[in-house]
Amino acid sequence: MFNQFGSTAETLSKASAAVLRIGTDAHLYDDPEDVNIAPLLDSKFESEKCEALKRLLALIAQGFDVSNFFPQVVKNVASQSSEVKKLVYLYLLHYAEKRPNEALLSINYFQKDLGDPNPLVRAWALRTMAGIRLHVIAPLALAAVGKCARDPAVYVRKCAANALPKLHDLRLEEHAPAIEELVGILLNDHSPGVVGAAAAAFTSICPNNFSLIGKNYKKLCQILPDVEEWGQILLIGTLLRYVVARHGLVRESLMLSLHGLESNGFYEKDGLVGDKKDGDKSDSFDANLVSLVSKCYIEGPDEYLSRSNGVDTVAASFDSKETTSVGDNEDVKILLQCTSPLLWSNNSAVVLAAAGVQWIVAPLEDVKKIVKPLLFLLRSSTASKYVVLCNILVFAKAVPSLFAPHFEDFFICSSDAYQVKAHKLEMLSLIATTSSISSILREFEDYIKDPDRRFAADTVAAIGLCAKRLPEIPTACLNGLLALVRQESFAGDLELVDGEAGVLVQAVMSIQTIIERDPLSHEKVIIQLFRSLDSVKVAAARATIIWMVGVYCSLGHIIPRMLTTITKYLAWSFKSEASETKLQILNTAAKVLISAEVEDFQMLKKIVLYVLELGECDLNYDVRDRTRFLKKMLSYKLACHEPTEDSVASQENIAEHVVEHVFGRKLKPFSPLNLHNRFYLPGSLSQVVLHAAPGYEPLPKPCSFVVEEHDQLSDSGRQREAMSGLNGSQESSETVDEDGSSEYDSESYNGSDFSSDGDERNDANDAADPLIRFSDIAVSTDQEEPRSKRALDLCASYNNVPTLIPMEELSCLEPGQSAKRLIQVRFHHHLLPMRLSLHYNGKNVPVKLRPDLGYLVKPFSITIEEFLSTESRLPGMFEYTRRCTFTDHIKDTRMENGKDKFLTICESITLKVLSNSNLHLVSVDLPVASTLEDATGLRLRFSSKILSSEIPLLITITVQGKCNEDLNLTVKINCEETVFGLNLLNRIANFMVETSSSAS
Amino acid sequence: MNCLSVSTSMEGRRSNLPIRSEKREREREREREQYRSSMLQCIFLLSDSGEVMLEKQLTGHRVDRSICAWFWDQADSFKSLPVIASPTHYLFQIVRDGITFLACTQVEMPPLMAIEFLCRVADVLSDYLGGLNEDLVKDNFIIVYELLDEMIDNGFPLTTEPNILREMIAPPNLVSKMLSVVTGNASNVSDTLPSGAGSCVPWRPTDPKYSSNEVYVDLVEEMDAIVNRDGELVKCEIYGEVQMSSQLTGFPDLTLSFANPSVLEDMRFHPCVRFRPWESHQVLSFVPPDGQFKLMSYRVKKLKNTPLYVKPQITSDSGTCRVSVLVGIRSDPGKTIESITLSFQLPHCVSSADLSSNHGTVTILSNKTCTWTIGRIPSDKTPCLSGTLALETGLERLHVYPTFKVGFKIMGIALSGLRIEKLDLKTIPPRLYKGFRAQTRAGEFDVRL
Repeated sequence: MFNQFGSTAETLSKASAAVLRIGTDAHLYDDPEDVNIAPLLDSKFESEKCEALKRLLALIAQGFDVSNFFPQVVKNVASQSSEVKKLVYLYLLHYAEKRPNEALLSINYFQKDLGDPNPLVRAWALRTMAGIRLHVIAPLALAAVGKCARDPAVYVRKCAANALPKLHDLRLEEHAPAIEELVGILLNDHSPGVVGAAAAAFTSICPNNFSLIGKNYKKLCQILPDVEEWGQILLIGTLLRYVVARHGLVRESLMLSLHGLESNGFYEKDGLVGDKKDGDKSDSFDANLVSLVSKCYIEGPDEYLSRSNGVDTVAASFDSKETTSVGDNEDVKILLQCTSPLLWSNNSAVVLAAAGVQWIVAPLEDVKKIVKPLLFLLRSSTASKYVVLCNILVFAKAVPSLFAPHFEDFFICSSDAYQVKAHKLEMLSLIATTSSISSILREFEDYIKDPDRRFAADTVAAIGLCAKRLPEIPTACLNGLLALVRQESFAGDLELVDGEAGVLVQAVMSIQTIIERDPLSHEKVIIQLFRSLDSVKVAAARATIIWMVGVYCSLGHIIPRMLTTITKYLAWSFKSEASETKLQILNTAAKVLISAEVEDFQMLKKIVLYVLELGECDLNYDVRDRTRFLKKMLSYKLACHEPTEDSVASQENIAEHVVEHVFGRKLKPFSPLNLHNRFYLPGSLSQVVLHAAPGYEPLPKPCSFVVEEHDQLSDSGRQREAMSGLNGSQESSETVDEDGSSEYDSESYNGSDFSSDGDERNDANDAADPLIRFSDIAVSTDQEEPRSKRALDLCASYNNVPTLIPMEELSCLEPGQSAKRLIQVRFHHHLLPMRLSLHYNGKNVPVKLRPDLGYLVKPFSITIEEFLSTESRLPGMFEYTRRCTFTDHIKDTRMENGKDKFLTICESITLKVLSNSNLHLVSVDLPVASTLEDATGLRLRFSSKILSSEIPLLITITVQGKCNEDLNLTVKINCEETVFGLNLLNRIANFMVETSSSAS
Repeated sequence: MNCLSVSTSMEGRRSNLPIRSEKREREREREREQYRSSMLQCIFLLSDSGEVMLEKQLTGHRVDRSICAWFWDQADSFKSLPVIASPTHYLFQIVRDGITFLACTQVEMPPLMAIEFLCRVADVLSDYLGGLNEDLVKDNFIIVYELLDEMIDNGFPLTTEPNILREMIAPPNLVSKMLSVVTGNASNVSDTLPSGAGSCVPWRPTDPKYSSNEVYVDLVEEMDAIVNRDGELVKCEIYGEVQMSSQLTGFPDLTLSFANPSVLEDMRFHPCVRFRPWESHQVLSFVPPDGQFKLMSYRVKKLKNTPLYVKPQITSDSGTCRVSVLVGIRSDPGKTIESITLSFQLPHCVSSADLSSNHGTVTILSNKTCTWTIGRIPSDKTPCLSGTLALETGLERLHVYPTFKVGFKIMGIALSGLRIEKLDLKTIPPRLYKGFRAQTRAGEFDVRL
């Protein structure tokens, strides 16, 4: 009584507290556990169930584990309320994998919902059922998907397409062909919504099964504009891959432009590239880079690695047979036609994908139409801006002229994120031309004054890059940079923020890169830099300037005369320097000494000795090491009195050579671009993160897909052929599928292919002699070798739980010969098959062994009383029943002989059961019926224990029907291990139905 | 020893990204089979303090929420990257109104797809909840869950069309809130499948009925401009959207044409727009969604003038700076310029600021953001902001300068000059109202000092 009052008062106060957030679920999120959730779940009111589920979801949202409510939640799956259903589904999907056994309980409801007239209910049921991801229900789910793939409602078909990757995820090799077939059916759907989802399924399930695309290619292209935006993204990629695999690259396209130019010179003929004739080819595009890019698009990681060993094999070698042209290839033309309007799509991912197709396939002169749409993408969200810029950068590197007229679009506005700013700067420095450089430099001047000093430093670096690219402009830059060095070092006198230091360092670096091109003409600049050495306080900048002293010490006429002073200054400041500067001082001292002229030599030698002495007792061990090293190397120089003095000993001569080699070497000529960059397909994740993400696939090899094959061979066979023909890498061995149908049929595994010699394989099949026969945990490997002199070796891959007791290797098998070996396997779990691989002649064929469930139990003798009490303890979710028919007894001859019919039936049932599984017959109940013809009520009980876990398993078979007709059996299993029980039940029901020929 | 140990910053930054070794790459490639079929694996919603407000696992490969902690602990410059390669997952993020939407994947997928999808989720949520902030998300977490479940299935977007989502999951409104308080039970999940979900025009319910048929077209333009430190207009362009609101009975087929489509530099269309008529004679032909939507967006480049001028001046001497900023009308657009604002970030080295104006109000926040709200330009005087900035001790002169961001709004005019010629319906329903409006506001309008 009082309790009730209390509770209402409590709810009242809660309601008043939540008055501001009326009607929301705020209180549920804040205090999900302030009431006991469990009773609410069992409530008979939908609203209370709903509240309880919301509380559970709140806990999930906050990261708590509430999987212990699973059994109670699962019961509610039967609710009629759509909201409860939705919430239960949300919960179920979150935890199904953790609680597979209980999740199975919901299957029946899904099965029921799949037949619901409401398409939304069907779709939800399908999504959840496939989303639960249990191996046990995979066949059911696959059947459901197959049914839904032919559903009248588009939404349901779409969900079916989405469900396929979920099933594929379970890695059910035996279902792979069925899944791929469904993908094909859905790709052929007339509704664009379904096609989009099917394209997504295709990409994740069988991206290389081009025969599926080939069948519908034209239709897919036509439907592409109507497909949903997300589907478009993937479908565009798929179509591109198909075209490349089928027809190869396009001759007129950018990818092959270089070779077109070299081989048949049709450029000149057609006058395709106007600006090329105008002269500056380098400005139009970087041929080396383009060919590198196109190579990168096609080659996989292995090829990339092997190439990077050899230095310059950049020149690609595309066979002219592997190319095609837009003019005479209908497929290419259609692809270009159907993707070009997508450049106007509202979805930036679609635009980028479409631009990627144009980039790779479109003729050179058409590529520029991707420019404006791409630039428009820069007006979208910050995040997309960044990704788009990452991709544009590659385009601009290869063909700077594409973006050169649009440099204004890359001007930086204050709201850009730092990364966007940095990419824009890089872009600007890439596309700057002689005509645009003045405006760009003026922009840069503004950026240098930006409060974000890191950005200012990047700007200075970008100035250096611009100057590198455009040799005409350095003078203007240099003055600005020098002014900057002076100003920064001046400001730096007082207080140095990190950013300022960065700007200064970059300024010095940029000056250095400009000077590097032509040191002689910039002598004055170098001298100015040396002069500013005293005011520059940043260690990295000082180190760079000091390094320059060493490099340019013999340049021109003025610098050599300054050397003594500079070296003196360096020696004087040595003590107070940072260690990176100290190292550079040491290097410079050595270089100066080597190139010293006669009159300065004595002086310099003294200074260097002084510096070396200081260095030897430095605190930093790197500095000490460097000092000792230099001292040793320079010993011959330090010992003599004249720089040109002839050293007598040959040993010293060697030292001199070494020193000359190390210090006196001229600078390497500067190379404009690092050609060892790797590029990835436009729009891919890999291109953004700059390494191959798992699952990244380059374009297929040109013309690797030959369509004739498809006509002759069956789907799966063709695919296998194509796969093994392709490269035979580990990837293909993964996808080789056994064409078996039933899960328990060991014969199905002889499909492991000898694709080269089909005849012998057929022989093996005809003889009905399995390649590997599975019987009672033993494998006989007879007749597996069609050809002679092949070493056979079975070895297990230990990635799964079943363990194998090692066996000896079969070294050699003659044709027709067979050998037997006993394999002993311990199966720890009934669902995990034993994966074996068959090695012969260097080939490798995967084989899977699956135990018959009937042998994973052992007889367990108990009395009928014990049986009944155990049974009563295992009700509800531990109990499964299935119906099946039984016909064996009809053929039994004894039936006609007037024997006891019941007895005969009992015998034949028991025989069947016991010959297929290890059980113990507990009891037989005979019906007390009025007629002897009616077998209804006959009941047999069997008991057993699961081998691995010793959990008892009870089987009850109840018979219904007339003795002389087909009997209806109800098989019931009681077992705590529900998954095992369910599987065994299916197995029993299966073999009961089969008519056995050997009924005696 | 002959080479420099410091690389240029451009290259340095790129190589800073983790995990580049080729060996690792191959290992990953070997792993990929395992995760092949899932695209996005998980979506997290993080509050502005880094708290995980919500997690939605999308596939069987669960992502532990510890990844969020890892993410939050990263240095700011790395954390703000939209695509991050963490040791275990690739992360995509967008930040909207302080809420971080974080999505994880382990396999190659188009990054823009993930980002666009997250943007779409953010749009839908803010539309449903009437804004986005931590409290709104937490208070309506059930709706967020239901929406996410509808929008993405197995890591691939399922239903993202807002009009259909609205029919599947009812947005919270006052009535449903009251109902849930009174009865404690108000389902917001629809029992029936929206009719549009399967049709060939998925954006439109099959047969809506209205007693009065209305269709409004709005040109909403944003002006992006950059004025450099010399006072020169470096860049001036318009980003515009054609926004429509349609309440039309049945299955209307509309055509919209512009008087001067040639000014358009580039455009993007709603999926309902047919490409062919636009390609051939620049006419928009479409079956509109029901309700509000964005028909197209466009860009007009190389405008000659901005409606406003901003003339900042700054002189610094012996530790103090004198600032004065004048704002006035440069070219009169013919309509009043409203809600003019000017905001800028004071440089770090400014220790205190004393700014005042002869019109409008000036506020300086603790993060050194200064905002000058002008409103309309008065007819009798030129608004002027003036005052002094005190630099930190030791600094003589200012060597970094702020950028002023200008805001304004003009109703009734599209500054790009784009004009709508006419809007036609193939079959004219009874009682049809058509309306056209235009407005321009400042987008990225930067004036550098």
